[in-house]
Amino acid sequence: MTTANHASEHFFRRLLRGILPLLVWLLHFAFCYGLAATQCTPAAMRAGGPDRTLLGAATVLALLACAWLAWRARGVPARRDAGLLEWAGFLFAVLSLVAVCWNAVPVLLVAGCA
Amino acid sequence: MTAPVSEPLPQQLPNPLPRPEGELERLEDVWRTPRGWRFLSSVNNTSIGLLYIGTALLFFVLAGILGLLIRTQLAVPDNAFLSAGTYNQVFTMHGTVMMFLFAIPVVEAIAVYLLPNMLGARDLPFPRLSAYAYWAYAIGGLAFFCTLFAGLAPDGGWFMYPPLTGTKYSPGLNADFWLLGIGFIEISAIAGAIELIIGILFTRAPGMTLGRMPVYAWAMLVVAVMIVFAFPAVIAGTALLELERAFDMPFFIAERGGDPLLWQHLFWFFGHPEVYIIFLPAAGMVSTMIPTIAGTPLVARRAVIAALVGVGVFSFGLWAHHMFTAGLGVLEMSFVSAASMAVAVPTAIQVFAWICTLWKGSVQRGAPTLFLLGFMFIFVLGGLTGVMVAVIPFDWQVHDTYFIVAHLHYVLIGGMVFPVFAAMYYWIPLINGNRLSETWARWVFWLMFGGFNLSFFPMHITGLLGMPRRVYTYAPDLGWNGLNLLSSVGAFVFAAGVALFAVDAVRTLRRDERRVGNPWNASTLEWLTSEDYGNRSIPRVTATNPLWDQPTLAREVEEGAHYLPQTATGRRETIATSPVGARPTYLLVLPGDGWLPLVAAAGTAGFFLLLTMKLSWLAWTCGLAAIAATIGWLWQSDRAVPQTEAEVASGLTLPVGATGTASHSWWATIIMLVVDASIFASFAFAYLHISMRLQVCPPPGSTLPPLALAWLSAGLLAAGSVLVWLATRSLGRRRLPWLVLAALACAVASFGVDLHGLRAADLAPDASAWAAAVAALAGYQGLHIVLLAILAPYLALRAWRGHLGARSRATLDNIALVWHYTTLQGIAWLSAVRLVPLLMD
Repeated sequence: MTTANHASEHFFRRLLRGILPLLVWLLHFAFCYGLAATQCTPAAMRAGGPDRTLLGAATVLALLACAWLAWRARGVPARRDAGLLEWAGFLFAVLSLVAVCWNAVPVLLVAGCA
Repeated sequence: MTAPVSEPLPQQLPNPLPRPEGELERLEDVWRTPRGWRFLSSVNNTSIGLLYIGTALLFFVLAGILGLLIRTQLAVPDNAFLSAGTYNQVFTMHGTVMMFLFAIPVVEAIAVYLLPNMLGARDLPFPRLSAYAYWAYAIGGLAFFCTLFAGLAPDGGWFMYPPLTGTKYSPGLNADFWLLGIGFIEISAIAGAIELIIGILFTRAPGMTLGRMPVYAWAMLVVAVMIVFAFPAVIAGTALLELERAFDMPFFIAERGGDPLLWQHLFWFFGHPEVYIIFLPAAGMVSTMIPTIAGTPLVARRAVIAALVGVGVFSFGLWAHHMFTAGLGVLEMSFVSAASMAVAVPTAIQVFAWICTLWKGSVQRGAPTLFLLGFMFIFVLGGLTGVMVAVIPFDWQVHDTYFIVAHLHYVLIGGMVFPVFAAMYYWIPLINGNRLSETWARWVFWLMFGGFNLSFFPMHITGLLGMPRRVYTYAPDLGWNGLNLLSSVGAFVFAAGVALFAVDAVRTLRRDERRVGNPWNASTLEWLTSEDYGNRSIPRVTATNPLWDQPTLAREVEEGAHYLPQTATGRRETIATSPVGARPTYLLVLPGDGWLPLVAAAGTAGFFLLLTMKLSWLAWTCGLAAIAATIGWLWQSDRAVPQTEAEVASGLTLPVGATGTASHSWWATIIMLVVDASIFASFAFAYLHISMRLQVCPPPGSTLPPLALAWLSAGLLAAGSVLVWLATRSLGRRRLPWLVLAALACAVASFGVDLHGLRAADLAPDASAWAAAVAALAGYQGLHIVLLAILAPYLALRAWRGHLGARSRATLDNIALVWHYTTLQGIAWLSAVRLVPLLMD
C-alpha cells in the first residue's frame, strides 16, 4: 500500500531554498523602507534624515548575500539536467541582485526626509 | 522538482482493460449534474465555473455600459448628459465593478472551470466552498450594482480615499455600500484562493510533479498566494473606514490623531498586487495558448515560471508608487520607484519567452493568435508607460491626469481583457465542442483592437495637456475637444466588437453538442475527453506536455486504463497526491450537490447589504440563517465512510481520507489562519502607524490598561489552549466535550478581562485615533472569541452525537488550530499595545 509521506518531499525546505534570494530582497526592501519611514515620523524624527550609514550597511550585506547565492548557482545555465528549483534559484539570485542594486542608488544619492 | 521533464513511458497501464460492466454507469450516477431548477444546487466545478464565468462577463458588460456613459458625457465640452453627482456614481461604479466584480472573479472563475481538468482531478477539493464563493459573489454583486438605480451607489472613486469618503463629506449610505459590499466580496475571493492553492498542491494527477505542472497552474498558485497576503489589507482598511463612519472611531481624521494616508497604505498594499493578481492568470493562459498555436514547447519554460514567482514577490514592494504625490519621504519613494522598475525585468522575461516561442514554432493563424498578438502590442505599451510613471518627477507631472487613465487601461485591457478573449476563443470548444466563428472573430478583433487604441491612445495626450481624471465636464477652450471626441468614438467601436462577440458566443453555445476532441492539438490535459465526472480515469503523467509526449494517453484515459476509473466508495472522489512529486497519497471523498452553500451565501450577502441599509433585525436574521446553513453544511462533512481502503489501480491501494497534517483540510485551515493573521497584522500596522504620528504615546488623556490584567488575560488564553490540546488527545473519551467547553470559558473570561482593562483605562474608541486603533485590535480578538463560542458547542455536540472518531477528526484538529491561533493573536495584541509605547519612550 502506498502511504502519505509528505515529509520526505521536504516541500517547505525546497521552497525556502528556491526563493531565498527573493526573501533577501524583500527583507532588504522592508528594512530600508521601514527605517526611512520611521526616522521621518514625528515619533522618531532624526536630524539630517534617515541613517544612510545603516542603510548602506544593510545594502552591502544584501548585495553580498545575493552575489553569493548567484555565485553558488553559476553552473546552472550550463547544466542540461538542472531542474526547476535550480533554475529558479539562479534566476532569483540575479533578479534580486539587480533589484538590490537599484535600491542602493537612492541610498547613495538621496538625503533627508523632504 | 529536479525530476526530468519527461520519462520513458511505463509499459504497463495502471488498470487492466476492458473495464467491468456497470462501472462507468455507477460513476455517471454519482457525478450526474441535476437538471432544471435543481441545477442551482450543483457544486461541481464545471457547473459553478460556467456560472461564475457567465456572471463575471455580465459584470464586464454592465461596467462597460457605464464606461460608455462616461465617454458619452465627455464626448463634447460642457455636456449636460449626466449631472456631476450621477457622473461621480457612474465612474466609481465603472472602476469598482470592473476591478472587484469582473477582473478578479473572472480569473478565479476560469481557474475553477479549467484547473481540475488541466490537473487531471475530478473536481476541486472543496466543491461546496466554490459554490458558496460563487453565490456570495453573484447575489452580493448584483444587489450592489442595483444601488446605482436608487442613487445609492458609491461616489468616492474606486479607491475610496478618505476624508472624501468619511461621514463629513459622504454622509449618505453610498460609501457604506462600497465598504460592506466589496469587503465581503473580498472574502469570497479569498475562499476561492484557498480552494485553488489546495487544489493545485494536493489534487494533481499522479506523476504531475511541480516541474511538470502547467504554467497556468503555476500562475494561479502564485496568484492565490498573493490573494492570501494582499486582500487582508483591504479587508482591514474597509473595516476601519466603516467603523469610523458607523461609530465615529477617527482612524482617518487628522485633527483627532488619525491619518488619511493610513487608508492609502492599506488600500494600495492590496491594490498594487491586485494588478498582478489580474495580470498573472492572463500571463499563465498566454503561456498555455502560445505553445499550442506555435506547435512547439514554451521557450525558457522554467524561466517563465520563475518570472511568475518573481513578479508575485516584487509586486508587494510597489504599493506606494500610487502615493508619490501624497507627501511621503523622498527616500521611501525612491525605494518604491526602484522596485517598480525591477518588476519590469521578470515581466520582460515572459514577454521575450512568448516572442521566442512564436518565432521558433509554426504559428496557426486563428482567433486566439490575433488576440494574443493584440495583447502583446497593447500590454507592452502599457508596461512602458508604467516604467515612465515609476519615475517620480514624471509621476508628479501626470498624477491624476488622463495619462494615468490611459496607462491603466493599456495594462488592464491589454494585459487581461485581450488574453481573456483569446482564452474564450481557445477554450469555448470545451463547453459543447463548437468553435466560435473565425470570420466574425476577425471583425471582433479589429473592432476591439482598433476601438481600444482609438479610445485610449489619445488619452495619453489629453493627460499631458493637463486634463484631470474624474472631471464630469470641461471648458471648450482647453484644447481637449478633438481628443475627447476621438476617445468616445473609439469606446463605442470597442463596444461594438464586444457586442459582436456576445452574439457569436450565444449562437455557438446554442448549437448542438459535438465531440470536443483536441481542436488546436494542445498539449494540456483539459483536452482529454471529459464529462460531469471529469476524465473517465485519472491520467498518469510522465511528461511536461502530456498530450504531445504521451500520444496514446487520450485513448487510454477514455477507456479507463488509468487511475480510479470507478467510484470506489460509491461517492464522489478524486485522488490526493503529494505536493512536490504528485505521488498518490489517499482517496479524497468529495461532498455532493446541495442547497446549503447557496442558502449560506444568500444569508451572508443579505446580512451585509441589509446591515448597510440599517435594517438591523432583517440583517441579523440573514446572518443567523447563514450561520445555520454553514453549520448544517459542516455537520454533514468529516464523516468516516465505511471503507478504509480503496484500490485505485492494480496493486495500488490507498487509504480513504487522511487526518492531521496529511489532510487537505488541515492545510486549508492553516492558509485561512494565514489570511486571518494578515488581517490582524493590518490592524496592528494601523495601530503602529497612528502611534508613530504622536509625540507622546499613549497620547495625553489616554492610558494603557493595567499590566496585571494583560497577564491574567494571556494566562487564561494559554489555559484554554492547553485544555484544547488535552481535548485533541482525548478522542473517544467522555471528557473531550467538557474540556472544550472549559476552554471556551477560559477564552470568554480572557476577553472579559480585556474589556475590563479597557474600561479601567477609560479608553473610549471615539476619543482619539489611538484609542480607536487599540479598540480595533481588541475588537478583532473579540470577533475570534465569538467564533470560538460557536465552534466549541458545535464540537461538543459532534462528540456527544458520535461524529468524532479516529478517521473523522478533522473538525477537532481544525478547531484546535483556530483555537491556538486565537491564543497567539490574543497575546500578540496585548503585547503590541504595550510594546509600541515602550519603544517610543
